[in-house]
Amino acid sequence: MDRRIVFDKDKKSNKSSYLEKPKVPIESAEDIFSKNLLRSELPLPNLGELDVVRHYLRLAELNFSVDTHFYPLGSCTMKYNPKINEDLAQLEGFTNIHPYQDLQDVQGALELVYNLEQLLSEITGMKKFTFQPSSGAHGELAGMLMIRKFHEVKGNKKTKVIIPDSAHGTNPATATMCGYEIQVIESNFQGLVDIDKLEREVDESVAAIMLTNPNTLGLFEENILTISDMIHRKGGLLYYDGANFNPLLGITKPSLMGFDVVHLNLHKTFSTPHGCGGPGAGVVGVGEVLEDFLPAPLVKKDENKFYFDYSVKHSIGRLRSFHGNFGILVRAYAYVLRLGRDGLLRVAQNSTLSANYIKERLKNYYQVAFSKKCMHEVVFTCQNQKERGASALDIAKRLIDFGIHPPTMYFPLIVKEALMVEPTETESKQTLDYFIQTMIDIDREISLDCEKVKTSPHLAPVKRVDEVRAARFPNLKWEKPGV
Amino acid sequence: MPYILNTKEDVKEMLKAIGASSVEELYSLLPSEIRLDSPLGMPEAKSEQEAKKIVKELSKKNNSIDKFNSFLGAGCYDHYIPAALPFILSRSQFLTAYTPYQAECSQGILQAIYEYQSFLCLLTGMDVSNASLLDGASALSEAILMSLRITRRKKIILAGAIHPEYKETLYTYLSGFDFIIQEIEAGDDGLVDSRALSRAVDEETASCVFSSPNFFGLIENSDELSAIVKSKGSLSIMLTNPLSLAIFKEPRLLGIDIVCGDGQPLGGGLNFGGPSFGFLVAVKDYLRQIPGRIVGKTKDREGNDAYCLTLQTREQHIRREKATSNICSNQSLNAIAAAIYLSLIGKDGLKDLATYSLSNAQYLYQRLKEVRGVKIPYSSRIFNEFVWEVEDAPRIIAELYKKNIIVGYYLGSKLNQCKNSILSCCTEKKSKEEIDVFVNTLGEVLHG
Repeated sequence: MDRRIVFDKDKKSNKSSYLEKPKVPIESAEDIFSKNLLRSELPLPNLGELDVVRHYLRLAELNFSVDTHFYPLGSCTMKYNPKINEDLAQLEGFTNIHPYQDLQDVQGALELVYNLEQLLSEITGMKKFTFQPSSGAHGELAGMLMIRKFHEVKGNKKTKVIIPDSAHGTNPATATMCGYEIQVIESNFQGLVDIDKLEREVDESVAAIMLTNPNTLGLFEENILTISDMIHRKGGLLYYDGANFNPLLGITKPSLMGFDVVHLNLHKTFSTPHGCGGPGAGVVGVGEVLEDFLPAPLVKKDENKFYFDYSVKHSIGRLRSFHGNFGILVRAYAYVLRLGRDGLLRVAQNSTLSANYIKERLKNYYQVAFSKKCMHEVVFTCQNQKERGASALDIAKRLIDFGIHPPTMYFPLIVKEALMVEPTETESKQTLDYFIQTMIDIDREISLDCEKVKTSPHLAPVKRVDEVRAARFPNLKWEKPGV
Repeated sequence: MPYILNTKEDVKEMLKAIGASSVEELYSLLPSEIRLDSPLGMPEAKSEQEAKKIVKELSKKNNSIDKFNSFLGAGCYDHYIPAALPFILSRSQFLTAYTPYQAECSQGILQAIYEYQSFLCLLTGMDVSNASLLDGASALSEAILMSLRITRRKKIILAGAIHPEYKETLYTYLSGFDFIIQEIEAGDDGLVDSRALSRAVDEETASCVFSSPNFFGLIENSDELSAIVKSKGSLSIMLTNPLSLAIFKEPRLLGIDIVCGDGQPLGGGLNFGGPSFGFLVAVKDYLRQIPGRIVGKTKDREGNDAYCLTLQTREQHIRREKATSNICSNQSLNAIAAAIYLSLIGKDGLKDLATYSLSNAQYLYQRLKEVRGVKIPYSSRIFNEFVWEVEDAPRIIAELYKKNIIVGYYLGSKLNQCKNSILSCCTEKKSKEEIDVFVNTLGEVLHG
């Protein structure tokens, strides 16, 4: 197979003809600018269209994706991305509007955002949303900066943010960016926030707690009301990391659990495609207490006209240019319309059912990290397999040979040899059964032919990739041969 | 139910395997106080046909830019996109995959991102690119945070005309940090006043940010500016339109340390401003301080070329509160689109594109200059957009809008000192006829 990089396919003389030459006088940059501002060569390749199409379609074939493979990547909610959403997002009226067009020409876009806000408010119990944040971590930054500003305005002296040791890495990284000290709370033997330890740590200096519920072990923090009470009593606020919201749609609302601010990953719970790692959207909803702190502008409605409201009293400011990842909002809106109130509940229930099914069917082969009933994902610890010679990594790589994308590995950090499996509601029982049987086969294979597991994958486009070498000798861009 | 495949029988069997009598039992650990006792207050599921109708109706309430003779730019540009680009990009194996954590089943994504990084390095002359950031404004914020970490200094200088929304964003991003910002307004010529910059840069300065083309469309004397900044051991951060680099000198050769901006001009649609992607490239000394994903080339177990995510110890999932940034998801698909776009349009196509945009903008500049009542405050050292002034600008804008002409971005909406200023942009898509119609109509509106 031709494995060359696009730069090595340069045909030099090939010139594309996509553009119409304008009838205005063609200026030469040399006549307008001094030479020291101009480049002497542009070292890019010239290829033919077929070469390019074939190159990238070949690259596409080398990847696993939700549309082609089971993709139980924990905490990422790799559910099916409905095709109608793509169709609708590509409508000319959405793709071909400029962010600075007159409001009367983008009423449909604002109305869509407004409608989506109504739906998400009902789903989460939050009062108002900002659609600027373009990823989960971006949403966290928005939410935590609002909390920071809230305390500033109130004159509260707050220095700490409490984060469980099972949290996503983005949580402590975000709180640090907001100038807070991190207080890590260890999980208890059940995999939940240790209430006694929390009690000891919560004092007047706590600005907030950042929680994912269900947590990254897939377990519901059943003491959530005690936690929220404890934090609120000391004047702190509750941040809801919505990465794991999928199993709770229509079951409960973050507002009922006591959360003051919520980010939703539209690319997880609301089915927008992950696109190799983005674009996503991490829209943020707030309760009344934080409404005055939202990034401006907000979308509002006046009689029958939609407009941007820039007058947010204590706004933290912008999180990015323009109005967020609008194209993603179109997809999420279409998704919520399609599911409706009962559909969303069924999404939650089936995601929980699927994870528990996998947990029960595999628990005699792979030890479950924490034995409580799980929600939408289950974390196994492969210590037993490790003792027999194959690590979680080896098992993950072996799955590739069976056409299954590996689960999230070695996360959460508090579980040794972790494999975190999130099947999502869109997979059929037949697919789950295939996964379960494959995992059982691999477990058996570790005893029979461990080397085969350790040297996997065998059927992927490349063999096990040397990541240590990549970090030790960074090669981060193509170099012209002979340079 | 759409998108859920399990039948009643499947559910029954699964529950049996679990040992639960109902799905509800799986939720028994949730306290009853937080359980919803009624369905969500929203409509029932819509058929695909109905949903399509509803969303399509909304799209029809927008007037696409093609219905106008538009000169809008200001950070979001209307360029021609070859048909092959959306075709390739819609492949499921790009669209529905996630971050390529598992290298062996993501080689195509990884190679495409490596190609993206290489393209950005070739355009800018820099050594290292990350795999994209969220947008231009957040990329600038991340670049500034990088400079604070690298220099361990606290002062940032914002020099000259920088996109106001980018400025607003960086103030938000930095609000949790200890820093000082000094802003130097553009001089009378629209450019950074190098003497003012010399006075401002000192031993406390972490970095100086400027934009070229700047927000007024002008090309700065970047080499002079970077020399001033360097003299105090500070870093130069340059915002740029990547398309302009088809013509203008590689920022690396101008003495710049970090280049960033929005990649929308490289094959991105307007999309009401998003998604696009942010890019950030730097000299190799600062490799360990770069935020976000980076792809590296390596070998597999048998010595074949292979790619993987690398240098991950900078990132939040490993380093947590000590990470270089909190960024996790980025805008990979848009970055890959840029690589595909650059491959399609090629070296000569990109040069043409930049030259045609420049020529159209120069033509409009010259024509507007001849219109009585129009004042052009700055020189023609522009790439694809420029500022012009007219008395009573909001009224003029409205008059031309009535004639289906969007003259550009009204600077008065963001900048108090620019009450009569308009930023007009020409991409390669503008025809001579459209430009002539604009100028002639403006003349009629002004002088009857």
